[in-house]
Amino acid sequence: MLMPKKVKYRKQQRGRMAGKAWRGAELAFGTFGLKVLEPGWISDRQIEASRVAITRFVKRGGKVWIRLFPDKPVTKKPAETRMGKGKGAPDHWVAVVRPGKILFEMEGVTVADAQEAMRLASHKLPLRTAFVQRQGAH
Amino acid sequence: MATATETKPETNFLEAEPRQPGNKNDARRVRRSGKIPAVVYGAGKNAVPVSVDPRQVSRILHSESGHNTIFDLALDGQRSKAMIVDWQYEPIKGALLHIDLKRIAMDQKLKVLVPIVLKGEAAGVKQQGGILEQVLREVEVECLPGDIPSHIDADVTELVFGKVLRVADLPHGEKLKFLTDPNQTVAHVTAVKEEVAPTPEAAAAEAAAVPTEPEVIKKGKQEVEGEGAEEAAPEKAEKAEKQEKKEKK
Repeated sequence: MLMPKKVKYRKQQRGRMAGKAWRGAELAFGTFGLKVLEPGWISDRQIEASRVAITRFVKRGGKVWIRLFPDKPVTKKPAETRMGKGKGAPDHWVAVVRPGKILFEMEGVTVADAQEAMRLASHKLPLRTAFVQRQGAH
Repeated sequence: MATATETKPETNFLEAEPRQPGNKNDARRVRRSGKIPAVVYGAGKNAVPVSVDPRQVSRILHSESGHNTIFDLALDGQRSKAMIVDWQYEPIKGALLHIDLKRIAMDQKLKVLVPIVLKGEAAGVKQQGGILEQVLREVEVECLPGDIPSHIDADVTELVFGKVLRVADLPHGEKLKFLTDPNQTVAHVTAVKEEVAPTPEAAAAEAAAVPTEPEVIKKGKQEVEGEGAEEAAPEKAEKAEKQEKKEKK
């Protein structure tokens, strides 16, 4: 599972996700990509599940790039605990995404295979996504 | 190889209207009226804020010669040669937001980015089962405006594992001068590992090996604190001895 090697602080506040992804919103490596259309958090498990879905579908056929990293810790209180007594312990990691961000990129496969792989990946994610491809790709 | 000036009639003309320079509210008003804000500069003249039709711009950008298309810019009843040097898209729907137009002198050399198109099926893909990866998609060239190629074709049919297509290997005539590092990789054939479903034992072992929490970076005055702690430790020992003595008494 993806997570940072070192952090400055163990816990973070939730933060805001206003606006659009003005950076990381264009294909940088591959020919095909998956773009997110709404803001939200994507957890490390969801990223891993999407990656596995893509790589298992294309088998030895293509190359995949992951364009997001879960660098935000999410804390959780244990079950059946009374409120108060401070913030809970870090539970998992999430990537904060804004609409327009490219999540995954692919190369070395046909359009149909890329579309199907990205469709399978999108089913592992909690947000609406869209398939994108480079101009002139076929 | 087609050049940037050999384009269809509808892609070699752009009509621009002057607009008042302003802030983002003014720019939004321009967009709401169906046009997009743009700026024209170059050729030693002042920058002029203008508004243009996004459909005309889109037609130019999607033409065969793409952003390197040289077209006639009609502004204030005058026509001059220009090209699109920068453009911004809205990240979700991909609508054009703004473009930069540059006046072109046809007798002066330009620095432009020309797309590289890979031709053929690589031997490394066909026979060795690899994947052709294009690392560099555009190459910077210097040439006269009339000699800008729409794209540079790179033959990859003989590309196998371990062999790299570099900028120096790209075909070009005397009219073009490559400014990109000639040793830079354009394309190569790579192998991709197949994703194998891990056994439950391997998954458990992997999960145990990965730390649950990352290392927290400590603050800079760590050594000073350490020294202080060492000094404080004997003091605490002395206090403890005194207390023990009191208790014995």
